[in-house]
Amino acid sequence: MPGKKQIKTDDPVHISTYWKLVWRQFSQHKLALIGGVIFVFLILFTIIGPYFVPHKYEDMNFMAIFAPPLTEQHPMGTNELGQDTLVRVMYGGRISLMVGFVAAGLSVSIGTTIGLLSGYFGGNVDRILMRLVDVMLSIPMFPVLLTLTLVFGSGLRNVILVLTLFGWMGVSRLVRGTVLSLRETEYVMAARALGAKNSGIIMRHIFPNVLPIIIVSATLNISFAILAESSLSYLGLGIQPPTPSWGNMLQNSLNYMLGTAHGVSPWWLTFFPGFLIFLTVLNINFLGDGLRDALDPKVMKK
Amino acid sequence: MKKYLIRRLLEVIPILLFISILIFVILNAMPGDALLQMRMENPRAFANDPAALEKLRVHYGLDQPVYVRYGVWLGKMLQGDLGYSSTYRVPVLNLLQSRIPNTLLLTITAWLIGLIVALPIGIYSAIKKYSAFDFLATGFAFVGISLPHFWFALMAIIVFSVQLGWLPISGMSSYGVTGTWEIFIDRFRHLILPACILGFVQVAYWVRYIRTSLIEVMNMDYIRTAYSKGITRKKVIFKHALKNALIPIITILALDIPYFFGGAVIVETVFSWPGMGRLMYQAVLGSDHNLAINCLIFLALITLLSNLMADFLYAFVDPRIRYN
Repeated sequence: MPGKKQIKTDDPVHISTYWKLVWRQFSQHKLALIGGVIFVFLILFTIIGPYFVPHKYEDMNFMAIFAPPLTEQHPMGTNELGQDTLVRVMYGGRISLMVGFVAAGLSVSIGTTIGLLSGYFGGNVDRILMRLVDVMLSIPMFPVLLTLTLVFGSGLRNVILVLTLFGWMGVSRLVRGTVLSLRETEYVMAARALGAKNSGIIMRHIFPNVLPIIIVSATLNISFAILAESSLSYLGLGIQPPTPSWGNMLQNSLNYMLGTAHGVSPWWLTFFPGFLIFLTVLNINFLGDGLRDALDPKVMKK
Repeated sequence: MKKYLIRRLLEVIPILLFISILIFVILNAMPGDALLQMRMENPRAFANDPAALEKLRVHYGLDQPVYVRYGVWLGKMLQGDLGYSSTYRVPVLNLLQSRIPNTLLLTITAWLIGLIVALPIGIYSAIKKYSAFDFLATGFAFVGISLPHFWFALMAIIVFSVQLGWLPISGMSSYGVTGTWEIFIDRFRHLILPACILGFVQVAYWVRYIRTSLIEVMNMDYIRTAYSKGITRKKVIFKHALKNALIPIITILALDIPYFFGGAVIVETVFSWPGMGRLMYQAVLGSDHNLAINCLIFLALITLLSNLMADFLYAFVDPRIRYN
């Protein structure tokens, strides 16, 4: 690891809790820190941003269709209806980020539950659940994702549903693996000897120890969901216009990519939404990478 | 080990059956069927004769419950009868036969490009870890992982085809090209962009894997022993380290094959490449159930076989692994 320093844990004055150590480790990871800051900025950009732009996402202006970027009033140009790309990108970001957060939250919750049950109880429960994971993983994901959105109908709720359905397997495998080893630790055995209930042991002793894995998985699942939503919207199966999302803005741009009636190729319609997807996912990945290192207690003990 | 291989092979059958049931049920829950499409294409023929519609429904077996239809479909399929495509109006088998080679051409080229690019970058950044090159390669890997396939494809089309005009925008061949050599060049020009884009995303993952795996091996005791015997650095890396580092990588190369086919759906759609991915997308969109089912089963089979291949390769390459 670049720039990793040893952390003094035997400092008599300074008492370090786990989370303090995590923060110290994380703040040394420059790239992750920058990634986190940009990610927060992107969230603010999409939530607060529209209040600073004098347009609404549905406002049309036929006097200014296909205005290139940096024209007056339209820093990112306009589309075929004269709608401001900047404000549409902000609204689209709200949708895309929401899909990412909600789908990741749901799939990580399901994955964690299944992983905890499977790892803790073992035996037949484990065998059946892990078989299920194996089968789910051998289904060609993207084609089935596509089919499912078509069956359920596209739209925000169904996109989230489908992404959740296909996002939990990785998490459950990771959690199960950790729980398997935690189950044999002395403190869990001690708790059991004291007569603690299974639910109590799982929640109080095991769950806090798998939390780091869950957090890292959650960040990676957000980026997976954002990418998948954009792909589905791009194929016309995700969020439906007029609600803008980064994916369907890209799909719309396709109609004009090879040149409009005026003979210009409005590259900005393709560039900006895609670039924001890229920027978001990139920074989430940086953040996830930093968190993975920071949350790993093995690294800290060194 | 033979026993293990046979058991793993047999395991594919129930999983494939399960997936086919799943796909069959999902597609049947989809709105629209072959009849609806016929009615839409030819509204007048059915308007006066509702009985004809009912007759067709019975003829195609659409009046039967799902499980009966599944049984009929499975029986036919096992005899090699894949049925007709309702949109293309030709046997599905013919369609698959003409499209599968195109997809294989695209995915295998992409896979090879990925390997040829990822291997040297991964190895070099592991040898020179924490160097400027390594940081650059890591950055490059992060960028590759975060790029949406289709946006990257679109931007590449805008830059290389629309603005610069170097490469064709889409399709697999130009019209009216003759001569073996000219056709080969033409194919190649059409193949470059989609294959590079499909390969590039995987390069990013592979560079990371190769780097991590090689660094891990380089810390082993036997590498230190090799050095202490006075063997040159080059020999240590290529004869001792790389051999062991490549074991997990071979597995990943096989495990990632399905991603190429999944990515091919998007890339083929963007570039209008006449392959399986685009065929599947169109079949699903056009409620061509029979075609869609067969495409999806094909992709599932590819996924299962790649997983199997990864396991076999792993057992084959690494003598330390014993199966009972």
